[in-house]
Amino acid sequence: MEEIVLGIGITALAGALATVAGAAEDTESDIGSQGDPNSQVQLAPQMGYIHRIFNKAVSGEPPAYGAWCVIGAGVAWALMQINYNPALAIILGSVIAVFVQGIYCTSGYLGRIASLAKFQQPVYIDIIKSLTPVTMAHAFVAIFCTVAMCYLMASVLHHPFALPLLGLVWGIALGAAGSATGNPFYGKERQYQNQKFGAGVPISASGNIVRYAEAGQRSSLDNGWFTTKFAGPASGICFGLIVFLELWRTILFEELLNGWGAIIIGIILILVFTLIDRWVEKWGRRTYGPYTSEEASS
Amino acid sequence: MSALGGKASGGEGINPTGTVVGIIILLVSIAATYALGFSIVPLIGIIIGGALIGFGVHFVPVGGAPAAMGQAPGIATGVAMLAAGAGLAGLFGGAWAYEATGDFIVAIAGGAVGGGLMMAITCLMVNATYVFAMGIPAASGKVAKDPITGDTFPEYKSQGTEGHGLPFVSFFGGVVGGFIAGLGGTIIYLELFDVYLANLPALMNGATTESIQPLAVSLAGIFAIGFFLVNAVLAAYNITGTIEGPHDPKFKRVPRAVIGCAVASAFCGLISMLIIYNTGM
Repeated sequence: MEEIVLGIGITALAGALATVAGAAEDTESDIGSQGDPNSQVQLAPQMGYIHRIFNKAVSGEPPAYGAWCVIGAGVAWALMQINYNPALAIILGSVIAVFVQGIYCTSGYLGRIASLAKFQQPVYIDIIKSLTPVTMAHAFVAIFCTVAMCYLMASVLHHPFALPLLGLVWGIALGAAGSATGNPFYGKERQYQNQKFGAGVPISASGNIVRYAEAGQRSSLDNGWFTTKFAGPASGICFGLIVFLELWRTILFEELLNGWGAIIIGIILILVFTLIDRWVEKWGRRTYGPYTSEEASS
Repeated sequence: MSALGGKASGGEGINPTGTVVGIIILLVSIAATYALGFSIVPLIGIIIGGALIGFGVHFVPVGGAPAAMGQAPGIATGVAMLAAGAGLAGLFGGAWAYEATGDFIVAIAGGAVGGGLMMAITCLMVNATYVFAMGIPAASGKVAKDPITGDTFPEYKSQGTEGHGLPFVSFFGGVVGGFIAGLGGTIIYLELFDVYLANLPALMNGATTESIQPLAVSLAGIFAIGFFLVNAVLAAYNITGTIEGPHDPKFKRVPRAVIGCAVASAFCGLISMLIIYNTGM
């Protein structure tokens, strides 16, 4: 019984850490333009729209976060093998992973922007100076929370995978959840704020991203400010739910029916999410209604 | 048509020459495994697992960059990446269930449900973002009517786009894709784990099975992740960009991916067994 209570506590803590990690991951990727919306940041100068948006896409978010979390988890694991305090080891591992992230960001920005030189897009040194530390800070939060969560799974919940392997698995899942949930909000709602609300961006408008703010040119910090209103927390909820429910169904129901309990609960959870999704879809259709032409609606 | 107006590249059919060459590679890999003294049953399991991953990836609705602008339906990330994320979440659950119960069937079912659950939550949050934050209803660009719910799409598709969001059939495809990818990945992991656990002690001068277990788990885990990425990337090449799910015409290309993934898995499976080949040195 005590073990189950401890397991539930650890599950809740891991879910909370995952929520913070998801929110920080998405905000980091939006400030750095790491995910799929980066295609528009890259495209804009080619269409004649020179901008000051940070453009540091190193790779897709999942492999990038897989790499950074496995570096953090690997260094932390190595330090723990030589009897470092786990908290200190996880912090040091995350710091080293963040420096790797910073190096990738800098080379990513310089490489990507330099490739746009023939379209007259300048390399802004002040963007590297001011925004790289901001993305590093967010990445630190994401990596630290993920590695701490993996440490709890390995040491307290006794998952068979070693800490670095857990870092890789959950780093990739973190990037997948964050990019899936957060990208449309950043790509459509922020980059194409000049387009109509409640409709997709027409393909003919590709590249015409918003480049000016209330005063002066828009900075990627403004994008981070905007996306933390929805995309960050939503990504956090997404990743937090994945981690929490995956652990919860295993901790509480693994013993039932020779292991089939956790599977049955998993299927029930999938059905519940399916029903909620169908409700969301129907709510959208009912509330917004079909698109009408301007003459018909006026 | 892709979102940027170009024609979809790559044919729909199966290339006979390529298929014959692939099957020869597959048979040679199996024969080589047998000739080296390994049982071929784990390799068959790995081939089935790899083919399942390739098959499952085609169900996952992936919109890539156009989806991030609400220009095309699907989840706004890459095919390989999303499938790997779901499959690895499944692998996490499957490995844990095997540790706790030691039952092969429970473990692969646990892996499948883990992948399906990850995709269900992700797809729900995608739709919640589109509907509640962006005010955009779900609409498919490939079919006029949802094959499952019967919802019609043309009037809900905004002008100048190929559709947006995740219609119910795409949500269903995502969950099924995560389920199959998690199943395939867990089969590969368990087959490799058993092979390593049986062969590593002899290779390490008679170390006990208990002491070798962490090494076997880690090796099998790393290789399983590698298999995931190999098969997911192969399937992504077959898809060429974006796919809406099982109702998408591109889904017809799936036999090609299954053959390709089986061949790649057979060869990679041979390599993954060679590392524990006892040369007697």
